[in-house]
Amino acid sequence: MGTDRATMTSNVLLLLALFLGHCAAHAAPDAQRILAASDAIRNPGRPFSVQVTLTEFQSGKQVDASTLTAYSRAQQRGGQFASLIRFVLPARDAGKLMLKNGNDLWFYDPTTKASVRLSPQQRLLGQASNGDVVTVNLAKDYAATLLAKEEIQDGERRTRDAFKLDLKATAGDATYTAIELWVDAANNRPLKARFFAESGRLLKTAYYRRFEPQLGLERPTETVIIDGLRPDSVTIMRFSDYAWRAVPETWLHPDYLPRFQPE
Amino acid sequence: MRLVAYFALCSHVALALMSSLPVRAEGIDDLDALALESAPVEDVTGKDTRKLFVEGALGTANQRFESGSQGLSRASVDFFYSTALTPGWRGVVSDRIDYIRPRDASSDATVNSLREAYLTWQQSGGSTVFEFGRINMRFGPAYGYNPTDYFRDGSLRTEITVNPLAIRENRLGVVAVRGQRLWSDGSFSLAVAPKLGAKASADGSSLALGATNNRARALATFNAKISERVNGQVHIYKERGLPRQLGASLTALWSNATVAYAEWSRGREPDLLSRAFAQPATTTKRNRFAGGLTYTTSRKLSVTGEYQYNGFALDRSGWNSAAASSGVPALKTYLMEALRRQDLASRGAYFIYATQESVGLNNLDLIAMLRVNADDHSRLGWVELRYHWSRVELAIQIQQQSGRSTSEYGLAPYRRSAQILAAYYL
Repeated sequence: MGTDRATMTSNVLLLLALFLGHCAAHAAPDAQRILAASDAIRNPGRPFSVQVTLTEFQSGKQVDASTLTAYSRAQQRGGQFASLIRFVLPARDAGKLMLKNGNDLWFYDPTTKASVRLSPQQRLLGQASNGDVVTVNLAKDYAATLLAKEEIQDGERRTRDAFKLDLKATAGDATYTAIELWVDAANNRPLKARFFAESGRLLKTAYYRRFEPQLGLERPTETVIIDGLRPDSVTIMRFSDYAWRAVPETWLHPDYLPRFQPE
Repeated sequence: MRLVAYFALCSHVALALMSSLPVRAEGIDDLDALALESAPVEDVTGKDTRKLFVEGALGTANQRFESGSQGLSRASVDFFYSTALTPGWRGVVSDRIDYIRPRDASSDATVNSLREAYLTWQQSGGSTVFEFGRINMRFGPAYGYNPTDYFRDGSLRTEITVNPLAIRENRLGVVAVRGQRLWSDGSFSLAVAPKLGAKASADGSSLALGATNNRARALATFNAKISERVNGQVHIYKERGLPRQLGASLTALWSNATVAYAEWSRGREPDLLSRAFAQPATTTKRNRFAGGLTYTTSRKLSVTGEYQYNGFALDRSGWNSAAASSGVPALKTYLMEALRRQDLASRGAYFIYATQESVGLNNLDLIAMLRVNADDHSRLGWVELRYHWSRVELAIQIQQQSGRSTSEYGLAPYRRSAQILAAYYL
């Protein structure tokens, strides 16, 4: 009888523990879910186009500005974004195109009629690499762990309660080995991210700011990117003229680049 | 008690300050960055692509066969325009006018190059495309020599640079009709170019149809994405009077920092020496090949190394016997024909091409190139330093050609040259 009671007590305790554990699991935010919700704020769910104005600064002085139009769609295989980027300004770069479809990277110059394959390292040199901090489905390529809930300053220098997520690359071809991402605890907006190389070196810091209604959601219309090696090198990416846009699969083939017609 | 509370408060504040110091130092940088404002958004909602620039160059060259140096000068206007005409239809015009001093012996000082003028129609979604007019159809992933670039011969009206990437900007297209079908992982295209002239004209205002369309030609190209990291092309080329040629090329992402490429072509045609001297056409079946790697460092340096092979070119013994039997003028004629055909003059060659962005200064770029004839070891070196603002570019170029007196680059009229260029984009 005593054994039965003890067994029953232990069963009740086990059930209680399981129940409490279950409740605790529901109470603790799911890092991967936060990451996916944050992705959905940065990335429209259907193919779209957006005009991007890039302003480069050195030691606080503007040194360059350029404008491009990005046409993006999530790929059926893998769910990652593929983008066709058309350079518009400055005049010397007008009409040049860059195609990014995973690690399939091509650069096309209409004056040389040459489609040149690029390595991820080559892409990291130019401004195009900054697209990675904007149009990328992080939840597809990274496993997220919730590190803390803490106060940070957002891109508009206001204090926010944020979840700090630690992202580790799960896809072999992910551009960054690790990312620290701060997501607004109130609404899953991405606020800040730090991108790291395999060596642990900080490559860039990004702040997402100026949230405005675009394509059905409040989305960041500016990203401030600070170079990890040279913090005095800053790029501001400003997004305007968001529009739903058909982006056919054929556009994402390097052989299509010479045929591309802006719409 | 109040004293204890005071010390406790001070120690808390001190600890808080100490623990926040590194974060605060980083935070100050970030705050500076966050105070910056974006440049105004430009209105670029057009369906046209327009590029117009003027360029001037002044330089001097050290002559090999004459005493003293020679002044070099050039003024150019370059224009590209692409516009939507009706839904699905688009027109493209690309033209360039060069005024060159000293002028080439075989052409006017002022040369107009109508590079492209064609209409293109494409189905909604871009899966079917038709084009007709003068179209620049360039193929091949190699940097310095393209065996599968079947429409390269006769495509240059002026020789204003030795940089192969810049040469591509100035070449003429071929008048042709082309159709292409694209699908998600590949494409097929067929181009047919009729004969429209007999030979190149020295008239600077000529459309140069005799240079680009002096025989009927056709090219079928099949393009496939073989894997996430490998793309390939297969070509079948035919021109009137010669058997079909087969060509293929591959590009592969070798590693995170390396791209590999190779291209090959095989066919039966007259060798380059026979073409240079218009000798009776005895044809031989040979290969052309180019293959290389581009490696990019994390310090913004990209280096390409390439090996080039032309089975139709003179080999070392053929070159030496031509030099002994026909002399330097014959070798120069041979080299001129190789240049006209954009073909490799030696049986083998090595090519290195390096680019470095932001050399010491933001917006200051360096390009360096070296060509080495693998048979006679003569060399062509070329370096460019270019600074660009939003509408203006300034560049300095230095070139040197060296080798034995009867070698490929030892026969070049200039030993070394230097020039300053300025371009303004309107």
